[in-house]
Amino acid sequence: MQVLFPQTLNELQTLLAEISQGRIMAGGTDLLVKLRQSGQQIPAVFCLEQLSELQQTGWQEDEFCIGAAVTQQQLLDNAVIQTEYCGLYQALNELASPPIRHAATLVGNICSASPAADSLPPLVAMDAKVDIVGPAGCRVISVSDFVCGPGQNCLQPGEYVSGVRLPRLPQGTISVYHKVGKRKALAIAVTSLAAVYRTAADGALQKIRLAWGSVGPTVVTAPEVEAYLLGKPLSEVDLRQAGAMASAAVSPIDDVRASEQYRRSLAGNLLLKLVATPTAAKGE
Amino acid sequence: MNLSFTLNGQQVALEVAPDRRVVDLLREDLNMGGTKECCGSGECGACTILVDGQSQLSCLMLAAQLQGRSVLTIEGAAADADAAIVQQAFVEHGAVQCGFCTPGMILATLDLLQRIPQPNREQVRHELSGNLCRCTGYQKIIDAVMAAAVSLKGGQR
Amino acid sequence: MSNNKRPDAGFVREIGCSAPRLDAADKVTGAAVFAADLYPADLLWAGVKRPEHPHARLLAIDTAAALAIPGVVAVLTHKDIKGSNRLGIFEKDQPILADERVRHYGDAVALLLAESKEALAAAMAAVRVEYEVLPALFDPVLSQAADSPVLHPQRSAGNLLIGGEIRRGDPAEALTQAAYQVTLTVSTTWQEHAFLETQAGVAQLETDGTLTMTVSTQTPFRDRLELAEAIGLSPAKIHVIAPCLGGGFGGKDGITVQGFLALAAMHSGGRPVKLWYSREESILAGTKRHPLQAEYTLGCDQTGQLQALSARLLFDTGAYASLGSEVFALAMENAGGPYRIPNVAIDGAAVYTNNPVAGAFRGFGVPQVAAAMEQAIDELARAGGFDPLELRRQNAVVRGDSSPTGVTLTGTVGIGECLDTLARHPLWQRRQSWLAAAPRFKRRGIGIAAVAQSIGYGPAIADCGNAKMELLADGRLRVYVGVSDMGQGNASTYAQIAGHILGQPMDAMELVFPDTARTLPSGSASASRTTFTYGNAMIRAAELLGERIKARAALMVSFQLLHSVKLEDMALLPGRLQHVPSGRSLPLPLVATLMDATERMATATYTAPVNDQPLDSGVNLRKHGFPHRLASYGVQLAALEVDTLTGETEVCELLSCIDAGRVLNPQLYEQQVQGGVAQGLGYALFEEFTVEQGRIKTGDLSTYILPTALDVPDMLTVPVSSHEPAGPFGMKGIGEIGIDAVLPAVANALATATGQRIAGGTLNAEKVLAALRHTGQEAMR
Repeated sequence: MQVLFPQTLNELQTLLAEISQGRIMAGGTDLLVKLRQSGQQIPAVFCLEQLSELQQTGWQEDEFCIGAAVTQQQLLDNAVIQTEYCGLYQALNELASPPIRHAATLVGNICSASPAADSLPPLVAMDAKVDIVGPAGCRVISVSDFVCGPGQNCLQPGEYVSGVRLPRLPQGTISVYHKVGKRKALAIAVTSLAAVYRTAADGALQKIRLAWGSVGPTVVTAPEVEAYLLGKPLSEVDLRQAGAMASAAVSPIDDVRASEQYRRSLAGNLLLKLVATPTAAKGE
Repeated sequence: MNLSFTLNGQQVALEVAPDRRVVDLLREDLNMGGTKECCGSGECGACTILVDGQSQLSCLMLAAQLQGRSVLTIEGAAADADAAIVQQAFVEHGAVQCGFCTPGMILATLDLLQRIPQPNREQVRHELSGNLCRCTGYQKIIDAVMAAAVSLKGGQR
Repeated sequence: MSNNKRPDAGFVREIGCSAPRLDAADKVTGAAVFAADLYPADLLWAGVKRPEHPHARLLAIDTAAALAIPGVVAVLTHKDIKGSNRLGIFEKDQPILADERVRHYGDAVALLLAESKEALAAAMAAVRVEYEVLPALFDPVLSQAADSPVLHPQRSAGNLLIGGEIRRGDPAEALTQAAYQVTLTVSTTWQEHAFLETQAGVAQLETDGTLTMTVSTQTPFRDRLELAEAIGLSPAKIHVIAPCLGGGFGGKDGITVQGFLALAAMHSGGRPVKLWYSREESILAGTKRHPLQAEYTLGCDQTGQLQALSARLLFDTGAYASLGSEVFALAMENAGGPYRIPNVAIDGAAVYTNNPVAGAFRGFGVPQVAAAMEQAIDELARAGGFDPLELRRQNAVVRGDSSPTGVTLTGTVGIGECLDTLARHPLWQRRQSWLAAAPRFKRRGIGIAAVAQSIGYGPAIADCGNAKMELLADGRLRVYVGVSDMGQGNASTYAQIAGHILGQPMDAMELVFPDTARTLPSGSASASRTTFTYGNAMIRAAELLGERIKARAALMVSFQLLHSVKLEDMALLPGRLQHVPSGRSLPLPLVATLMDATERMATATYTAPVNDQPLDSGVNLRKHGFPHRLASYGVQLAALEVDTLTGETEVCELLSCIDAGRVLNPQLYEQQVQGGVAQGLGYALFEEFTVEQGRIKTGDLSTYILPTALDVPDMLTVPVSSHEPAGPFGMKGIGEIGIDAVLPAVANALATATGQRIAGGTLNAEKVLAALRHTGQEAMR
C-alpha cells in the first residue's frame, strides 16, 4: 500500500482521480482499524496531515470553519470551540481517548458516519455543514444530509470533504452533549443526546434543536419533540413528556452493547439531563 | 521507501515499506522492544510513543508518517531529565506491576505534564484514560504522576 | 533538577517495610524483556488455524494450497505430533492440534510456519478443512440431557467433568425450623484475564536435541512435564524459561502456546520460531473465569444465628477441563463463606459445553460463590431485619470453629477483626448521612461482603518450594526465583526476605527469573501460595547461607584474635561482617572470595503442611485440593451512586479490610489489593463477556470493556495484620482475596440504592435502570 502525502488540494484531487481505490486518511484511527479487521487491501492512502490548506480553523463571516486535517485535540485546545460550541467540545472530550484524539480528526469522525459517532449529534443539532470538493466543483451540504446510513456518506467517486462549517450561535445559546457509554473513556456511545437551545427572558424556549446518537441508522432528530418544547420553559414536567415522545420517535437496535428498549429509555431520560446538570449559556 | 527521522535524539535512516506499522518498525526493525503491543487497534495505549512531543499510538501509525519527525520511545526516556523524574516516581510509588503498560503510561504522562504541569487527580485520570492497566487499579500510577508533577515543578523553579 | 536517587537506596529493607520492587527500574526504562519482546535472528512466525464450527468432526485437512504459498515453511496437523497430543493436568483431554473433532471456536486445527506474518496470514486462509458438523451443547443445564451431544465420548461420565457434594447435619430439617430463610438464584458470567501481554513465546530446537523455549507462563516446571508427554520428548530435553510476564492472573497457569511452540520448533529445521497471539486470538483461545449458576437457600434462627445452607452450583468449564475440577473443588470448599453454619448441603457440578474453555483466574472459583453467598446473607439480613454487618459478625468463624464444610480451622482466622475494623471505619459509621445526601437524580447505596480464600494447593499435590540463592564473589546476592513473577512482585519479596535475614540492602540483590535449567522447581504462581511456600523455603536458604558466611568470617576473625569466635557474635551488616565483642569488621566481598563456589550457593526446600482431617463428604474433591489448612479473610465495602436517568453506576468508595497475615511489604500488599479490587469492579460492572451459540461476541477490547483510569476510584486498604505461625514472618497470601468480595459488595450496594436485587451476570447500567423502574425510581429526582 502506498502512503501518499498530498501537499495541495490539487494534488489530492489528482490522486483521487488516478488511484480511485485509494482512501483518504484523516488521522487513521478508524480506517487503519477497519483495514486490520477486514484484511482488505487497498492500493494507497492519502494522508492529509501535510496538507496545509486543510489545517486551518477560523471564522468566515458567520461560520467557524474547520479544515479536514484539524485534529480533535487541536479543536479541544481551540478557544472558540471551548467557549462557543460547548456541546461539540464535550463530545470531542469524551471521544475515545487522548492519544486517539491526537491523531483523529473531526472530519474523519463525520465521514466514518458511525451511528454512534460522538461528534455527529452536536453537529446536527447546530446545523453544521460540510464542504465537499470534487471533479465537478464544490458543494456545501448539511451534516445531516451528508450522513446517509450506518457507515455511509454521500460522497461521490472523486469527491472529498475539505472541512466543516459551524454556524455562529446567537448570544445566550446553550449547547450540551450527554453520552451514555459502557465506561467513561474509550466508550462507544450507547445513546447520546445533543441539545442546542436558547430561552427568552421569561424562561420560555425560543429555539431548541435536539439530536440523538446510537438510536437509529444515523443521527435521529425529532421535530415533534422540539415543537412540543418550544415556547415552554425547560421544566421537569415538560421534559418528561418530551422524553416519552422521544422514546417513541427513535429507532434503535439491539446489539452487544445494549438493547433496543434500554436505548429508547435513555433517549427520553437524557432530556432530563437538561435540568439535572447545570450548564452555562454562551456569553455567560 | 527511504525513511529518515529522529529517534530518541539520534538520526535514523532506513529502507522500509511505507505502510509498515510504526510499532512493527520499532520492535522488529529497530530492536526497540520497549514499545509494547497489546490490542493492535487503539484500545489500550500500550504502544504509545511521543511524536514531536505528542502521544501517539504506534499501532495506528504508518512508517511514512514519521518522515522528518522526532520520536521518543521509552528507550530514550531515561536520557530526558523530565522523563527520568517520571520514571523514578513510578518506581518509588509502586506504579509498576507487570510492567507491560508502563512504557506507554510513562510516555502518556510526559505528554500530560507538558500540557498540564500541575494537574489534579481527576485530570490525570482523564489524560491517562487511553492507557489500560490490568494490574494496578491505576491508583499508584496516579500517585506517581502527582508526585512527578511536584518534583518537576520544584526542578523548574 | 531534583536528585532522583533515593538517599536510602543502600539500606536494608526490613520485612514489614515498603521496598520498591527490584524489577521496576528495568520496567520503567523499557529494558525489561518479556517473552513477546524476543525476535531471534532468522525466526519463523507460527500461527494457528481455528475452526469454523463449535463442534464438528474433522474429516480432512488439505494443506497443499497453503504450502504452495511462497514463504510458507510448514503446515502441521495432528498427524505430525509424535506424543499423546493431549494436554491437561488431571484430565488430559485437550489436543494440541485437534484430531478427531473440534469442540469450540478457539480450538486449533493446524499449525503454520512462515517467513513473514503476511505469508502466514495468506496460508491460514488457504488451509482447507472438511468438517462434519455435529450438534453442539451451549447450555450447561442441558449437559446431562439424554439427547445432548457428548463432547468427549470416551469419558464414562459424559459431559460431567466433576460432581461433588458436601454434607453436614440436616439442612432440610434445620430449614424447616429456621425463623428466617431466603432463596436466591445468582449467576455470574465469564471473565477474561485480559493480561496486557497476550500469550507469547519463542522456541528453538538446539543442535543437541534440547527444545528451549522462552514463554509467558506461570508454570514453567509443570509445562515441561505436560509438554513432554504430549509431544513425545523427554522432559530432560525441554528447557523452559519464564521471563517477566506481562500479567497472568491464572490465564497463564498451564499450557497456552507452549504446545504449538514445541511442535513448530520440531519442524522448523532448527530455526527459531515465534508465536504471539493477537488480542482477538487471545480472547478466542485463552481460558476464562468459569460462569456459575447458583441457587442458595440460607436460614437463621430468631437471633440471626445461621442454621442451614443448601446450595446448588453449576459451573460451565467449556470444551476442556483445564483446571476446572480444581476450581470447582475450591468453590465447593468456600461456598459457605467465613461463617459457622451447622447444617450444610452443597451439591455441585462442572460440566463440558462447546463454549470457551474456563480455567484458573484469580480467586479460583471463590469470586463466583462469594457472589452467591454474600448476596444471600444480605437478603437474609433484610428478611430478618438484621444489620448486614452485625449478622456477619455474629456468625463469623473463629479459630477452632468448623468451616461450613466441616473443616476445623487450625490456622489464624481474622474475619472477626476484619469486620470490626470495617465497623469502626468512618465510611460505615457515617453511612446513613452519606446515603441521605444523594444529589438530584441519583440514588446512593452501600454494600459489604465478606469472604475466605484458601491458601495453597491442598492435600493432593505437594505444595513445595525449592529456594536457591548465591553469594556472588563480589559480595552481592543472587536470588534464583523458582516461581514465576507475573507482575505481582513475589520475586522482589524473596530478595527482601534474603536481605532482611542477611542484613543486605536491596541494591545488593539480583534476581534470576524462572528457568528450568537454573532455578529449582517450586510449583506454579497461583493459589495465593507463591510467597507463602517459596518464602518459607527462602528463609531457610538465607539462614543456611548466613551461617556459612558467619562461620567463614568467624574463622578469619579468630585467626586475627588468636582465640575462638562464637557465631552469634558475628553480625551480618550491609556489605560487611562485624565481630561485635572486638569491633573487628570484614568486608563481605572478602569473605565471599574465601568461600568455595559450592559454599556460596544455598538451597532449601519447604513443603506446606496439608490438611488430613477425615471428612464425611467431599471425598472425591480431595485429589483436586480440598480441603485446605489456611485461608486469608476479608471484608469489602462499596459505596456507590446510581443515576436514575441512565442507570450508570459510579463507585465512590471501595474499602478493603483484609487479613492475609502479616504484611511483608505494604506497597506490594496494596498493589495486590488495589489490582484485585479493580478487576473485581470490572467483573461486577463492566466486563460483560458475551457468548452466543459458542461464539464470543466480545472478542476484542472495544467490546470487552475493561475499566479505564476514569472508572476505578481511589481505594482504601486497611490490613488486619494477624500473625500466622506457619507463614513466612507470619504472612498468608494476598494475591487473590482482593477480587473476591467486590462483586457482591457492589451488588448489595446496588440493591440498597435501587431497592431491587440484580442477581444475574454483569451489573450493567441497563439492568440498574430496569431495577430502578421496577421500584418506581427511574428518572426520579
